[in-house]
Amino acid sequence: MKALKLFLPALFPSWRFFDVIAPSPRIDLALIGHPEAECSVWRECRPRPTRIRLRDIPRRLFWNAAWNETLYLATCAERLLQNPTDHSSREIRRRVRADVLGDAGDRAVQPYFRFRLVFVSRHDGRLRRDVAFVSPAYRCIDPLDRWA
Amino acid sequence: MGLTDTIRLTEILLSIALIQQSLEHVFGLPDERLHYAVRLGLSLLLLLGIQPQWVCVALFVNALFVINRFQGPYNGGSDLLSSLLIFCLGLAHWMPSPQWQEYVFGYLALQVVFSYFKSGWAKVVHRDWRTGRALRDVFAFSAYPVSEATRGWAARPGALWAMSWGVILFELLFPLALLSQMAVLAGLAVAFGFHIANFVLFGFNRFVWVWLAAFPSVVWLQARIVPAW
Repeated sequence: MKALKLFLPALFPSWRFFDVIAPSPRIDLALIGHPEAECSVWRECRPRPTRIRLRDIPRRLFWNAAWNETLYLATCAERLLQNPTDHSSREIRRRVRADVLGDAGDRAVQPYFRFRLVFVSRHDGRLRRDVAFVSPAYRCIDPLDRWA
Repeated sequence: MGLTDTIRLTEILLSIALIQQSLEHVFGLPDERLHYAVRLGLSLLLLLGIQPQWVCVALFVNALFVINRFQGPYNGGSDLLSSLLIFCLGLAHWMPSPQWQEYVFGYLALQVVFSYFKSGWAKVVHRDWRTGRALRDVFAFSAYPVSEATRGWAARPGALWAMSWGVILFELLFPLALLSQMAVLAGLAVAFGFHIANFVLFGFNRFVWVWLAAFPSVVWLQARIVPAW
Protein backbone atom coordinates (compact mmCIF):
# COMPACT_ATOMS: atom_id res chain seq x y z
CA MET A 1 0.00 0.00 0.00
CA LYS A 2 2.82 2.36 0.87
CA ALA A 3 4.43 1.80 -2.54
CA LEU A 4 1.12 2.60 -4.25
CA LYS A 5 0.86 5.80 -2.20
CA LEU A 6 4.39 6.76 -3.27
CA PHE A 7 3.40 6.00 -6.88
CA LEU A 8 0.40 8.37 -6.91
CA PRO A 9 2.44 11.54 -7.65
CA ALA A 10 3.54 9.85 -10.88
CA LEU A 11 -0.08 9.44 -11.99
CA PHE A 12 -1.03 13.00 -11.09
CA PRO A 13 2.24 14.94 -11.27
CA SER A 14 2.42 18.55 -10.10
CA TRP A 15 5.13 19.50 -12.68
CA ARG A 16 6.49 22.48 -10.72
CA PHE A 17 10.15 22.36 -11.68
CA PHE A 18 12.37 25.03 -10.12
CA ASP A 19 9.45 27.24 -9.08
CA VAL A 20 11.11 28.41 -5.84
CA ILE A 21 14.86 28.20 -5.32
CA ALA A 22 15.02 26.74 -1.82
CA PRO A 23 18.12 26.57 0.42
CA SER A 24 20.41 24.04 -1.17
CA PRO A 25 22.02 21.18 0.74
CA ARG A 26 25.69 20.23 0.83
CA ILE A 27 26.99 17.15 2.59
CA ASP A 28 30.29 17.44 4.46
CA LEU A 29 32.15 14.58 6.10
CA ALA A 30 34.80 14.30 8.78
CA LEU A 31 36.94 11.33 9.74
CA ILE A 32 37.57 10.77 13.45
CA GLY A 33 39.54 8.41 15.65
CA HIS A 34 36.83 7.54 18.15
CA PRO A 35 33.07 8.07 18.39
CA GLU A 36 33.20 10.97 20.88
CA ALA A 37 35.96 12.90 19.10
CA GLU A 38 35.31 16.50 18.01
CA CYS A 39 35.23 17.02 14.26
CA SER A 40 37.63 19.82 13.42
CA VAL A 41 38.26 19.13 9.74
CA TRP A 42 35.22 18.85 7.48
CA ARG A 43 35.45 18.35 3.76
CA GLU A 44 32.77 18.53 1.13
CA CYS A 45 31.48 15.20 -0.01
CA ARG A 46 31.66 14.87 -3.79
CA PRO A 47 32.79 18.38 -4.72
CA ARG A 48 31.84 19.26 -8.30
CA PRO A 49 34.65 19.38 -10.87
CA THR A 50 36.17 22.68 -11.96
CA ARG A 51 34.90 22.08 -15.48
CA ILE A 52 33.54 19.31 -17.69
CA ARG A 53 35.58 18.64 -20.80
CA LEU A 54 33.68 19.01 -24.06
CA ARG A 55 34.58 15.51 -25.16
CA ASP A 56 33.08 14.04 -21.96
CA ILE A 57 29.64 15.56 -22.52
CA PRO A 58 28.32 13.02 -25.09
CA ARG A 59 29.37 10.12 -22.84
CA ARG A 60 27.50 11.66 -19.89
CA LEU A 61 24.30 11.66 -21.94
CA PHE A 62 24.44 7.86 -21.79
CA TRP A 63 26.30 7.34 -18.50
CA ASN A 64 26.00 9.86 -15.68
CA ALA A 65 25.59 7.48 -12.76
CA ALA A 66 27.81 9.27 -10.24
CA TRP A 67 26.18 12.65 -10.87
CA ASN A 68 22.66 11.22 -10.62
CA GLU A 69 23.62 9.60 -7.33
CA THR A 70 24.93 12.95 -6.10
CA LEU A 71 21.58 14.54 -6.98
CA TYR A 72 19.83 11.74 -5.09
CA LEU A 73 22.02 12.49 -2.06
CA ALA A 74 20.83 16.10 -2.20
CA THR A 75 17.23 14.81 -2.27
CA CYS A 76 17.93 12.63 0.78
CA ALA A 77 19.47 15.61 2.60
CA GLU A 78 16.33 17.67 1.95
CA ARG A 79 14.12 14.79 3.08
CA LEU A 80 16.19 14.33 6.23
CA LEU A 81 15.53 17.94 7.22
CA GLN A 82 11.87 18.11 6.18
CA ASN A 83 10.75 14.70 7.36
CA PRO A 84 13.51 12.89 9.27
CA THR A 85 13.50 9.14 8.70
CA ASP A 86 16.10 6.47 9.17
CA HIS A 87 15.83 5.73 5.44
CA SER A 88 17.24 9.12 4.40
CA SER A 89 20.01 8.98 6.99
CA ARG A 90 20.92 5.43 5.98
CA GLU A 91 20.98 6.28 2.28
CA ILE A 92 23.42 9.14 2.94
CA ARG A 93 25.69 7.29 5.34
CA ARG A 94 25.99 4.20 3.12
CA ARG A 95 27.06 6.30 0.17
CA VAL A 96 29.38 8.49 2.24
CA ARG A 97 30.93 5.34 3.69
CA ALA A 98 31.45 3.92 0.18
CA ASP A 99 33.14 7.21 -0.82
CA VAL A 100 35.43 7.15 2.25
CA LEU A 101 36.52 3.59 1.58
CA GLY A 102 36.85 4.23 -2.15
CA ASP A 103 39.05 7.31 -1.57
CA ALA A 104 41.21 5.46 0.97
CA GLY A 105 42.02 2.56 -1.34
CA ASP A 106 44.64 0.41 0.39
CA ARG A 107 45.60 3.15 2.86
CA ALA A 108 44.58 2.93 6.51
CA VAL A 109 41.51 5.00 7.26
CA GLN A 110 40.23 6.54 10.49
CA PRO A 111 37.75 4.13 12.11
CA TYR A 112 34.77 6.53 12.31
CA PHE A 113 33.13 9.31 10.33
CA ARG A 114 30.35 11.83 10.76
CA PHE A 115 28.46 13.70 8.07
CA ARG A 116 26.73 17.04 8.36
CA LEU A 117 24.21 18.87 6.23
CA VAL A 118 24.98 22.47 5.33
CA PHE A 119 22.27 24.49 3.63
CA VAL A 120 23.30 27.35 1.34
CA SER A 121 20.82 30.15 0.73
CA ARG A 122 20.65 33.83 -0.19
CA HIS A 123 19.95 36.17 2.71
CA ASP A 124 19.98 39.98 2.33
CA GLY A 125 21.71 39.61 -1.01
CA ARG A 126 24.53 37.43 0.30
CA LEU A 127 25.07 33.70 0.33
CA ARG A 128 25.03 32.13 3.77
CA ARG A 129 25.77 28.61 4.95
CA ASP A 130 23.91 27.09 7.89
CA VAL A 131 24.76 23.77 9.49
CA ALA A 132 21.39 22.09 9.90
CA PHE A 133 22.30 18.59 10.99
CA VAL A 134 25.32 16.70 12.33
CA SER A 135 25.13 12.93 12.32
CA PRO A 136 26.24 10.56 15.06
CA ALA A 137 29.59 8.83 14.52
CA TYR A 138 29.45 5.79 12.24
CA ARG A 139 32.04 3.10 11.65
CA CYS A 140 33.90 3.42 8.36
CA ILE A 141 33.89 -0.35 8.02
CA ASP A 142 30.59 -1.94 8.94
CA PRO A 143 29.90 -5.52 7.81
CA LEU A 144 26.16 -4.93 8.28
CA ASP A 145 26.24 -2.07 5.78
CA ARG A 146 26.02 -4.36 2.76
CA TRP A 147 22.28 -4.82 3.09
CA ALA A 148 21.39 -2.51 6.00
CA MET B 1 0.70 8.16 -37.11
CA GLY B 2 -2.02 5.83 -35.84
CA LEU B 3 -2.46 4.88 -32.22
CA THR B 4 -1.02 1.37 -32.69
CA ASP B 5 2.18 2.81 -34.20
CA THR B 6 2.31 5.48 -31.49
CA ILE B 7 2.09 2.84 -28.76
CA ARG B 8 4.84 0.76 -30.40
CA LEU B 9 7.13 3.77 -30.89
CA THR B 10 6.56 4.80 -27.26
CA GLU B 11 7.46 1.26 -26.16
CA ILE B 12 10.71 1.36 -28.12
CA LEU B 13 11.77 4.81 -26.87
CA LEU B 14 10.74 4.04 -23.28
CA SER B 15 12.66 0.77 -23.28
CA ILE B 16 15.79 2.65 -24.43
CA ALA B 17 15.29 5.17 -21.60
CA LEU B 18 14.77 2.38 -19.04
CA ILE B 19 17.82 0.46 -20.28
CA GLN B 20 19.91 3.62 -19.92
CA GLN B 21 18.63 4.17 -16.35
CA SER B 22 19.14 0.54 -15.39
CA LEU B 23 22.72 0.40 -16.62
CA GLU B 24 23.57 3.41 -14.44
CA HIS B 25 22.70 1.29 -11.38
CA VAL B 26 24.99 -1.60 -12.32
CA PHE B 27 27.58 -0.31 -9.83
CA GLY B 28 25.02 0.94 -7.31
CA LEU B 29 24.41 -0.43 -3.83
CA PRO B 30 23.73 -4.20 -3.81
CA ASP B 31 20.07 -3.93 -2.84
CA GLU B 32 19.22 -1.66 -5.77
CA ARG B 33 21.06 -3.73 -8.39
CA LEU B 34 18.46 -6.52 -8.31
CA HIS B 35 15.56 -4.14 -9.06
CA TYR B 36 17.41 -2.62 -11.98
CA ALA B 37 18.60 -5.97 -13.30
CA VAL B 38 14.94 -7.00 -13.48
CA ARG B 39 14.07 -3.68 -15.13
CA LEU B 40 16.88 -4.16 -17.64
CA GLY B 41 15.60 -7.62 -18.65
CA LEU B 42 12.00 -6.42 -18.95
CA SER B 43 13.08 -3.39 -20.98
CA LEU B 44 14.88 -5.63 -23.46
CA LEU B 45 11.69 -7.68 -23.88
CA LEU B 46 9.70 -4.48 -24.40
CA LEU B 47 12.23 -3.27 -26.97
CA LEU B 48 11.81 -6.52 -28.88
CA GLY B 49 8.02 -6.32 -28.62
CA ILE B 50 7.68 -9.66 -26.83
CA GLN B 51 4.37 -9.90 -24.91
CA PRO B 52 4.31 -6.13 -24.26
CA GLN B 53 1.00 -6.28 -22.36
CA TRP B 54 2.49 -8.60 -19.72
CA VAL B 55 5.89 -6.91 -19.77
CA CYS B 56 4.23 -3.57 -18.97
CA VAL B 57 2.44 -5.14 -15.99
CA ALA B 58 5.76 -6.54 -14.77
CA LEU B 59 7.43 -3.16 -15.28
CA PHE B 60 4.66 -1.54 -13.23
CA VAL B 61 5.28 -3.97 -10.36
CA ASN B 62 9.03 -3.34 -10.73
CA ALA B 63 8.38 0.44 -10.59
CA LEU B 64 6.52 -0.08 -7.28
CA PHE B 65 9.53 -1.94 -5.86
CA VAL B 66 11.92 0.77 -7.07
CA ILE B 67 9.85 3.64 -5.67
CA ASN B 68 9.52 1.75 -2.38
CA ARG B 69 13.29 1.10 -2.30
CA PHE B 70 14.06 4.81 -2.58
CA GLN B 71 10.94 5.95 -0.68
CA GLY B 72 10.08 8.20 -3.61
CA PRO B 73 11.63 9.06 -6.95
CA TYR B 74 15.41 8.54 -7.30
CA ASN B 75 15.80 11.05 -10.07
CA GLY B 76 12.88 13.46 -9.59
CA GLY B 77 10.75 14.26 -12.63
CA SER B 78 12.42 11.72 -14.90
CA ASP B 79 11.33 8.90 -12.57
CA LEU B 80 7.81 10.35 -12.38
CA LEU B 81 7.44 10.45 -16.16
CA SER B 82 9.00 6.97 -16.52
CA SER B 83 6.40 5.63 -14.10
CA LEU B 84 3.57 7.46 -15.85
CA LEU B 85 4.70 6.07 -19.22
CA ILE B 86 4.88 2.52 -17.85
CA PHE B 87 1.42 2.88 -16.29
CA CYS B 88 -0.22 4.36 -19.39
CA LEU B 89 1.36 1.81 -21.76
CA GLY B 90 0.24 -1.04 -19.52
CA LEU B 91 -3.25 0.40 -19.18
CA ALA B 92 -3.55 0.99 -22.94
CA HIS B 93 -2.74 -2.66 -23.64
CA TRP B 94 -5.46 -3.88 -21.29
CA MET B 95 -8.21 -1.48 -22.40
CA PRO B 96 -11.29 -3.18 -23.88
CA SER B 97 -11.47 -1.01 -27.03
CA PRO B 98 -9.37 1.38 -29.15
CA GLN B 99 -11.50 4.26 -27.90
CA TRP B 100 -10.41 3.60 -24.30
CA GLN B 101 -6.81 3.31 -25.50
CA GLU B 102 -7.21 6.79 -26.97
CA TYR B 103 -8.39 8.14 -23.62
CA VAL B 104 -5.31 6.69 -21.91
CA PHE B 105 -2.85 8.06 -24.45
CA GLY B 106 -4.70 11.37 -24.53
CA TYR B 107 -4.16 11.63 -20.79
CA LEU B 108 -0.46 10.84 -21.20
CA ALA B 109 -0.03 13.45 -23.95
CA LEU B 110 -1.86 16.10 -21.92
CA GLN B 111 0.40 15.41 -18.95
CA VAL B 112 3.42 15.98 -21.20
CA VAL B 113 1.95 19.29 -22.37
CA PHE B 114 1.20 20.21 -18.73
CA SER B 115 4.77 19.31 -17.73
CA TYR B 116 5.87 22.37 -19.69
CA PHE B 117 2.89 24.66 -19.19
CA LYS B 118 2.54 24.19 -15.43
CA SER B 119 6.28 24.64 -14.95
CA GLY B 120 6.10 27.89 -16.91
CA TRP B 121 3.11 29.08 -14.90
CA ALA B 122 4.81 28.21 -11.60
CA LYS B 123 7.74 30.38 -12.69
CA VAL B 124 5.97 33.39 -14.16
CA VAL B 125 3.94 34.03 -11.00
CA HIS B 126 7.19 34.48 -9.03
CA ARG B 127 8.89 37.86 -9.19
CA ASP B 128 12.33 36.26 -8.78
CA TRP B 129 11.81 34.37 -12.03
CA ARG B 130 10.57 37.44 -13.91
CA THR B 131 13.64 39.42 -12.86
CA GLY B 132 16.11 36.61 -13.57
CA ARG B 133 17.04 36.39 -9.88
CA ALA B 134 15.78 32.81 -9.49
CA LEU B 135 17.94 31.48 -12.33
CA ARG B 136 20.89 33.41 -10.88
CA ASP B 137 20.32 31.54 -7.60
CA VAL B 138 20.09 28.23 -9.47
CA PHE B 139 23.57 28.83 -10.85
CA ALA B 140 24.97 30.52 -7.72
CA PHE B 141 24.13 28.01 -5.01
CA SER B 142 21.74 25.24 -6.05
CA ALA B 143 23.00 21.65 -6.15
CA TYR B 144 22.49 21.39 -9.92
CA PRO B 145 25.31 23.12 -11.88
CA VAL B 146 27.61 20.36 -13.12
CA SER B 147 30.88 22.25 -12.60
CA GLU B 148 32.35 25.34 -10.96
CA ALA B 149 32.71 26.82 -14.46
CA THR B 150 28.94 26.41 -14.94
CA ARG B 151 28.40 28.28 -11.66
CA GLY B 152 30.13 31.20 -13.38
CA TRP B 153 26.87 31.88 -15.25
CA ALA B 154 25.58 33.41 -12.00
CA ALA B 155 27.74 36.45 -12.77
CA ARG B 156 25.88 37.18 -16.04
CA PRO B 157 22.58 38.76 -14.94
CA GLY B 158 21.66 40.04 -18.40
CA ALA B 159 22.06 36.64 -20.01
CA LEU B 160 20.16 34.98 -17.15
CA TRP B 161 17.27 37.44 -17.47
CA ALA B 162 17.03 36.54 -21.17
CA MET B 163 17.32 32.83 -20.39
CA SER B 164 14.60 33.09 -17.72
CA TRP B 165 12.15 34.70 -20.11
CA GLY B 166 13.15 32.28 -22.86
CA VAL B 167 12.31 29.34 -20.61
CA ILE B 168 9.09 30.91 -19.27
CA LEU B 169 7.77 31.80 -22.74
CA PHE B 170 8.69 28.41 -24.20
CA GLU B 171 6.95 26.57 -21.36
CA LEU B 172 3.83 28.75 -21.32
CA LEU B 173 3.44 28.70 -25.11
CA PHE B 174 4.03 24.96 -25.51
CA PRO B 175 0.28 24.08 -25.63
CA LEU B 176 0.10 26.05 -28.89
CA ALA B 177 2.09 23.18 -30.41
CA LEU B 178 -1.20 21.29 -30.59
CA LEU B 179 -2.56 23.73 -33.19
CA SER B 180 -0.93 22.19 -36.25
CA GLN B 181 1.43 19.45 -37.39
CA MET B 182 4.16 22.00 -38.14
CA ALA B 183 3.68 23.59 -34.73
CA VAL B 184 3.94 20.29 -32.88
CA LEU B 185 7.13 19.30 -34.68
CA ALA B 186 8.64 22.74 -34.05
CA GLY B 187 7.52 22.71 -30.41
CA LEU B 188 9.02 19.29 -29.78
CA ALA B 189 12.27 20.28 -31.52
CA VAL B 190 12.56 23.29 -29.18
CA ALA B 191 11.64 21.05 -26.23
CA PHE B 192 14.38 18.59 -27.17
CA GLY B 193 16.89 21.46 -27.33
CA PHE B 194 15.65 22.63 -23.91
CA HIS B 195 16.28 19.18 -22.41
CA ILE B 196 19.74 19.01 -24.01
CA ALA B 197 20.57 22.42 -22.48
CA ASN B 198 19.38 21.18 -19.07
CA PHE B 199 21.59 18.15 -19.51
CA VAL B 200 24.69 20.17 -20.45
CA LEU B 201 24.23 22.69 -17.62
CA PHE B 202 22.73 20.53 -14.86
CA GLY B 203 23.53 16.95 -15.89
CA PHE B 204 19.89 15.87 -16.26
CA ASN B 205 20.63 13.15 -18.83
CA ARG B 206 17.72 10.88 -17.88
CA PHE B 207 15.20 13.66 -18.60
CA VAL B 208 16.35 13.77 -22.23
CA TRP B 209 15.61 10.08 -22.82
CA VAL B 210 12.35 9.92 -20.87
CA TRP B 211 10.76 13.05 -22.34
CA LEU B 212 11.80 11.89 -25.82
CA ALA B 213 9.86 8.68 -25.14
CA ALA B 214 6.75 10.74 -24.39
CA PHE B 215 6.94 12.86 -27.56
CA PRO B 216 5.10 10.38 -29.86
CA SER B 217 1.98 10.68 -27.69
CA VAL B 218 1.96 14.47 -28.24
CA VAL B 219 2.36 14.05 -32.02
CA TRP B 220 -0.49 11.54 -31.99
CA LEU B 221 -2.78 13.76 -29.88
CA GLN B 222 -2.19 16.75 -32.16
CA ALA B 223 -3.15 14.71 -35.23
CA ARG B 224 -6.16 13.26 -33.37
CA ILE B 225 -7.66 16.57 -32.27
CA VAL B 226 -6.69 18.65 -35.31
CA PRO B 227 -6.65 16.33 -38.35
CA ALA B 228 -4.56 17.54 -41.31
CA TRP B 229 -6.72 19.71 -43.55
